Amino acid sequence: MTPVLASLRGLVRRFGSVTALAGANLEVFGGEVHGVLGENGAGKSTLLGVLGGVVRPEEGELEISGQPVELRGPRDAWRHGVGLVHQHFTLVPSLTVLENLSLGRDAGASGFALPQTRVRPAAERMMARTGLSVPLDELVEDLGVGDRQRVEILKALLREPPILVLDEPTAVLTPAEVDSLFDLLRELARQGRAVVLVAHKIEEVLAVADRVTVLRRGRTVLTSERGGVDPHRLVRAMVGEDAATQTAVGLGAATGGVVGEASGGLLAGEVVATLDGVRANRASGAAALVDVSLQIRRGEVVGVAGVEGNGQRELALLLTGRLSPPAGVATVPDGVGFIPQDRTVEGIVGEFDLVENMALALHDDPDAGRGMWLDWPWIRQEAEAVRSRFGVVAPDVGARAEGLSGGNQQRLVVGRELRRARDLLVAENPTRGLDVAATAFVHAEIGRITSVEGGPGVVLLSTDLDEVLALSTRLLVMTGGRLLEVPEGSRTREGIGRLMLGGLQPDV
Amino acid sequence: MYEHGGRTAWVVGAAALAATAVVAAVLLWVGGYDPARAAAAMWSGAFGTRGAFVSVTLVRSVPFLLTGLAVAVAFRAGVWNIGAEGQLYAGAIAAVWVGIEGAALPAWVLLPAVLIAAGLAGALWALIPALMKLRLGVGEVITTILMNFVGINFAAYLVHGPLQEPRGVFPQTEQIADAARLPALVPGSRLHVGFAVAVAMAVVLAAVLRWTRWGFRVRAVGASPRAAWAAGRIDAGAVVLATFLASGALAGLAGGVEIAGLTYALYEGLSPGWGYTAIAVALLAALNPVAVVGTAILFGALEAGAGAMQREAGIPAVWVVAVEALVILAVLATDQLMRTRVRGAQTPGDDEGNVSPEPARA
Amino acid sequence: MSRNHFAVLLFALLGLSACTGQQDAETPGTFRAALLTAGPVSDAGWYAGAYEGLLLLRDSLGALVSHQQTRTPAEFDEAFLSYASSGYDLIFAHGFEYQDAAMRAGERFPNTTFVVSGGGRFADNVVPLIFELEEGSYLAGMIAAGMSRSGVVGMVGGVAIPPVEGTFLAFEAGARTVNPDVQVLESFTGSWDDVAAAKEAAVAQLGRGADVLIHNVDAASFGVFQAVRETVAAGGTAWALGMNRDQNDVAPDVILGSAVIRIPESFLETASTWQTGTLGGRPIYAGASEDVIDFVLNPQLLDVVPAELVAEMTAVRELIRAGELTVPRVPFVEGEPGVR
Repeated sequence: MTPVLASLRGLVRRFGSVTALAGANLEVFGGEVHGVLGENGAGKSTLLGVLGGVVRPEEGELEISGQPVELRGPRDAWRHGVGLVHQHFTLVPSLTVLENLSLGRDAGASGFALPQTRVRPAAERMMARTGLSVPLDELVEDLGVGDRQRVEILKALLREPPILVLDEPTAVLTPAEVDSLFDLLRELARQGRAVVLVAHKIEEVLAVADRVTVLRRGRTVLTSERGGVDPHRLVRAMVGEDAATQTAVGLGAATGGVVGEASGGLLAGEVVATLDGVRANRASGAAALVDVSLQIRRGEVVGVAGVEGNGQRELALLLTGRLSPPAGVATVPDGVGFIPQDRTVEGIVGEFDLVENMALALHDDPDAGRGMWLDWPWIRQEAEAVRSRFGVVAPDVGARAEGLSGGNQQRLVVGRELRRARDLLVAENPTRGLDVAATAFVHAEIGRITSVEGGPGVVLLSTDLDEVLALSTRLLVMTGGRLLEVPEGSRTREGIGRLMLGGLQPDV
Repeated sequence: MYEHGGRTAWVVGAAALAATAVVAAVLLWVGGYDPARAAAAMWSGAFGTRGAFVSVTLVRSVPFLLTGLAVAVAFRAGVWNIGAEGQLYAGAIAAVWVGIEGAALPAWVLLPAVLIAAGLAGALWALIPALMKLRLGVGEVITTILMNFVGINFAAYLVHGPLQEPRGVFPQTEQIADAARLPALVPGSRLHVGFAVAVAMAVVLAAVLRWTRWGFRVRAVGASPRAAWAAGRIDAGAVVLATFLASGALAGLAGGVEIAGLTYALYEGLSPGWGYTAIAVALLAALNPVAVVGTAILFGALEAGAGAMQREAGIPAVWVVAVEALVILAVLATDQLMRTRVRGAQTPGDDEGNVSPEPARA
Repeated sequence: MSRNHFAVLLFALLGLSACTGQQDAETPGTFRAALLTAGPVSDAGWYAGAYEGLLLLRDSLGALVSHQQTRTPAEFDEAFLSYASSGYDLIFAHGFEYQDAAMRAGERFPNTTFVVSGGGRFADNVVPLIFELEEGSYLAGMIAAGMSRSGVVGMVGGVAIPPVEGTFLAFEAGARTVNPDVQVLESFTGSWDDVAAAKEAAVAQLGRGADVLIHNVDAASFGVFQAVRETVAAGGTAWALGMNRDQNDVAPDVILGSAVIRIPESFLETASTWQTGTLGGRPIYAGASEDVIDFVLNPQLLDVVPAELVAEMTAVRELIRAGELTVPRVPFVEGEPGVR
């Protein structure tokens, strides 16, 4: 009989008018990997936050190793053996990776020696064991999100907590890294630890979890052994029985299948953007793009796969006119929509309401007012249109964007940028962190706009191979600042993976 | 954004007043002065009569109002202009120079010229730190503070040298021409038209921030430079430059209005640090230009009451300054406290310190 | 304006606030005097003397008195308005910087008399009160030159305004009567209350060989005295001289004597003149012959000053008092030679 390491019962937690948890339960055994699933806003992160000591429940009980406990903060949780890997980053950007890994560690017996000296060998051992490789002496601010996520996971693993809690750790990892992370999680479980994992892809959870808990609207609606469930049952549990049929269409994409060979190719029309022998540099001076040439036509979806940090960012900035190349020629149109990677920082202004966030796209639009004046009633209508069309759940368009759930923020950004994308849409990982229904919706929208006469061209930069495979009419791999065309015969996960790995070799 | 509900503002006001009254009373009592008498003097000096209110409180509020607006507009764009003091001196210098040299001009030419010159000089003073920020990446907090010292000492140099009154006796400039002086706003009072100019500026600024494209860009850059750039395609550099100049112009105008409305000549120590107090004025108004009118009058009343405390209650200036500082501290602290609680209730996660759980992020 | 009028005005001003006003209720036969200073009355010098003068008016003439320290030029008008409209009869504005505002206030409040210490302009009810401190500083120069072993003496000033420049001019002239070859150093700090700057200037002069220092930096004079004390503590020989007020007890170990203005006495004299109805229309000069200016030796250091030097200084003082010796000064009052 394996011991119950953590037990959460009847948790209730509200934030203002939003109820995040309304009687959620979770029971975690030693020796298991436990997957937690749910739609955006279902309460997954809050539940994990309770376990990690960063959220205090208003009602409910928490037991760790059979003892009732009250966690007053993350340190408290650590003391009780709970290690939480956050979904968002808690690293200090101006410190090196090693310094970040050393934060909060005791300096050792002498009290003077910096902990780094002890942490380095431990970190190197852990990297070798897990296959998670990060440059220990780089500053965190110079790392891409993938590396940062790896550092977060390493930071938690180094303390070898009996209960490890990971909030969507796979979103920014390469397929190979996901595989080795899962191997590691299974290994930790074999040692008798408990691993709690939130992931947005059902297939990932099913690939690694021994048991699964599904949350819906703050309640636990299902807990089951992996063998007792299939993807369709999980989706029904997540979205509710009645909504399930509507999202079935999205399930294919979310679980890795291919949704309708997005037609586009036939409609590909005039060229809307051209890059010709373009170079770009990072802030550090290193080359980010090397002699990139690309043409994008209306109606096509150009998928760009690749490991984070191989020049995708610079490519996106060039295509959206936010960066001008130091060498080469970039010809980009006016009507460009841009769905940036980090929507909370780059896509929206948190303290602005929905109308003002809409105005971010309209403030220099001649239709949005006369002369220097802005026509707020008109912009409000536009915001209302996006809200209703894209199902942004908000009390009204006067609500602050920071009060929306992540999924709804993303819907707002996608809706706004689709409206803006008359000629071209550039999307960086547009469905990262979205739930099944929202992902399906975004995919459908991309298909819709590219299939109408005179619709824009789309550049889809994504680390999610399934997404790229499903949506693209043309497929490219970005590696080491270069664009490689994927030959027809290599349009598989494995084929693309091989091309991506080429970029991991040092090239500068 | 920094906004209050109407009721919250009242609670803040009442709580601040109570806290202040207690602390200040204890302080005065310990010092051997009669708190009741001091309070009465303070009230009568600030609001006691129409004369006190119009000729003292409102007059004193003018430099707070204009420098407060200068700080508010800058902070709204995320420009940390701590240099209103120096920009005020630059404006005062320009105003006094034009006001003396243009003595031959009719008032309808000279008076606007004086105020415009003051605004331009303030903007020019702000241009230096603005360019250092944009071209060289030098933080404006330090450069604007340093420019304050330059401005203050440049004014001191001028009144001892090139701009000294023609007799060359006293360290002050000649008085500006009558045509360069701001007429009384309320006949028979000391309140000059500068107050109306300042209030008009507040209204214009509020309208610009709320209703114009430029104002929206200012708010976007201030609220999130990354989102303004990525989602808004806003040229933050241009917004920062324009805002910096507008901020400098308002502070410069404060100096010009002080010269044209009250002192008619430039002295050393023209400002006791209005440019710094302006930061408190603006923050207390939550960077809302219309609210700055209110907080500036509050600070004006405080100054007016402070003078009366000396005159009528016989409390020495140092004590008065201490009480005044206490009042400001109490108001700011209470305000911040209330604001945090209000925000905490609205924004998920804020009260947890460092985490925004489920509702804010999927 | 009748007394009743005053009361009405007063109550109108203080209006609705119940607590104020009652202490200030009108007492027949008293008059009201106010003092404005641009610095703290705790300066042990220029402003402290004025405040003592105000208290003297209260104690000797039974005047109702009030004081306000103003911080900015913008407050000058306000203070004049507040006092004049609450029925104050005589307002002492203790500094040249008040003169423009006093001229404006004088026009607006013909029934109030404004006395501006060190002012340069006058009207029927605006009176500059000129302290001829040069006469005291001339005597200080004699002592300085007589006591200097190095033949170098120094002067540390605040702001270079005529009254200050005048005292230094006279100091130098007095010093030359004792030692025609004396070298006189001069520096201005630009501030009346920057003690650190005053000390720095004093240290610099001591470093250049000066061994007797006089100052005219008001509240910052502590810096000068401190610099001299530190020189003495380090084994050197140096002396200081006080100014404006009898500062002998401020640093009794190093201050040989002080050129003093008896501000309280001159305020009292001015107020008495006002009571006779003859104040106004011309400046008041207050010097040694009026017994307002003097040079006071420090009794504790009398034994270090040669008797001949004291005798010589005393003789010159009598000449000045009798009007037989005119001390050089820098003119700055309307109507004086060279002043427009």
